[in-house]
Amino acid sequence: MKRLSLGVSTAWLALVSAACLAAPWLTAHDPIQPIAAPLRAPSSHPPIGTDDLGRDEWTRMLFGGRVSLAASLTAATLAVALGTAAALLSQGLGGAADATVAGGANAALAIPGLLVALAIVAVLGPGIETVVIAVGLGLAPGFARLARQALIQVRAEPFVGAAAALGASEMTTAFRHLLPNALPRLLSLATTHYAWAFAGITTLTFLGLAEGPSTPEWGSMLNASRTYLGLAPWLALYPGGAIAATVLAVHGVGAWLARRARGETSS
Amino acid sequence: MVSSPDRPSSRLRIVVARRVVLGALTLWAAVTIAFFALRLTAGDPTASLLSQGLATAQQAEALRRALGLDRPLVAQYVAYVAGAVRGDLGRSLYTQRPVTTVIAEQSGSTLRLATAGLVTAAVFGTMLGVLAGWGGTSLLGRAAGALAGIATAVPVAVTGVVILWVATWAGGLSPPLLVLTRGSNLTLPALTLGLASSGALARVIQSGLEDNLRSTYLLAARARGVGHGLRLMWHAFRPALPSAISFLALETALLLSGTVVTETVFARPGLGRLLVSSILAGDFPVVQGLVLLAATIYTSTHILADAVSAFADPRLRAAG
Repeated sequence: MKRLSLGVSTAWLALVSAACLAAPWLTAHDPIQPIAAPLRAPSSHPPIGTDDLGRDEWTRMLFGGRVSLAASLTAATLAVALGTAAALLSQGLGGAADATVAGGANAALAIPGLLVALAIVAVLGPGIETVVIAVGLGLAPGFARLARQALIQVRAEPFVGAAAALGASEMTTAFRHLLPNALPRLLSLATTHYAWAFAGITTLTFLGLAEGPSTPEWGSMLNASRTYLGLAPWLALYPGGAIAATVLAVHGVGAWLARRARGETSS
Repeated sequence: MVSSPDRPSSRLRIVVARRVVLGALTLWAAVTIAFFALRLTAGDPTASLLSQGLATAQQAEALRRALGLDRPLVAQYVAYVAGAVRGDLGRSLYTQRPVTTVIAEQSGSTLRLATAGLVTAAVFGTMLGVLAGWGGTSLLGRAAGALAGIATAVPVAVTGVVILWVATWAGGLSPPLLVLTRGSNLTLPALTLGLASSGALARVIQSGLEDNLRSTYLLAARARGVGHGLRLMWHAFRPALPSAISFLALETALLLSGTVVTETVFARPGLGRLLVSSILAGDFPVVQGLVLLAATIYTSTHILADAVSAFADPRLRAAG
């Protein structure tokens, strides 16, 4: 059962990433130029229909996925980098630095993530770059807290005490012993955060905060489809289904990585 | 349960008082950060009015004076905080109407949605959580667990559009059902919001139940002959209650952010839509007011949840 869900998840993610990467070779059309009558139903041409402006939906899905996937990857990387750096500093410096990181992360987590992201968009102004920064910064405190816990878990191992006895400084210990041994756990956390970043990005673009109607993106395509739910439900099905499947698939991989990190053999 | 000897009510009061002071500090921090972040980066808000051709240079200058934007930033900050304490949050840049009025107009709709969503979430979440915790590894238990996981993971926007689509489709078969798809109808928005926030509650209840089902006092209850049915479930359920209650505070966070998306999905008026449109328009007094409101709601629910769970679980009172 678990192996099946892992297989389906990885297959979907591989397929989607490959299709979006190869977008220019998989379609002959332009994502923002009309090719046929608006709201055409799926048929042989265009394969999965056209949107409200007569643009090829297949092309828009491919190019839209690029934006969604890349934006959430950047946001997740930002959160992971900031969070890991904070956790390493907290463990390497200890004392006040540790208290600041732990306290700061808890304080930041007291406010709902989407509201933090919305506030950041309010400060920086709408746009896809802002949305990426907002989601990344919104997820960073949570990652910092979990990464710190992961490092602390390693600290209990005997070899950390041995390193200290051999005269390794706290900073060296954090970088050379805690970090490498916490990597499996950090990897599973990063995967889960990628799923959250993806959900966050598509939510903010759904709200219209990326402000780029010409470039397609799954979240904003889902928003645009609401008006035509009665006439052209497939316009909601494609981006909605792709978002849901991607989020669930990433969570599936994350759960598998978490089981591996805990040392459970795959079953 | 034996009551604590050292007057639990006074301890409860200390716990709550400490939380209230902390909450007030949090609010002050939220106001300060929001104020300076928005003023320092948004620059001169009248500039955007000018560039959009909505005001002439003289009008912009008069507006700056009227809004007090020509004064030093620190003076503006002091004036804002002093006003906020009196319940005056300034005026919208675009409509010139008091921010408190604008927010008050939209809050009724959001309050109805949030309340209905919370009730739906509590019902769905408890149901799924009990099924998953009680059903264990049976097919039903697993299905409930999986459903709770999906409800949490899939973005509210997707759930909402799917629900709206099903209703539109059903409305096509039976036109009276089309009433449901109107923004003024509460059923579908509440269902969307409730489903999205139910998964997390289900997990809390599930893990609480699983822990308690393994506990020794449950074995003792069984030995006393409490049996298998509902009474045994209540025995296992009751200790899971405080974590579920304090979880409702977290749930408020989900509801607050969930309403923003739900209102957009169903084109419903409310605070969430006000927030998004104010952000897009750069109407920072309104954004600031909404940030303050969210922080107030959030801290007060936390205080309330702490007090209620301390009341429901005598162990937490002693820990005070």
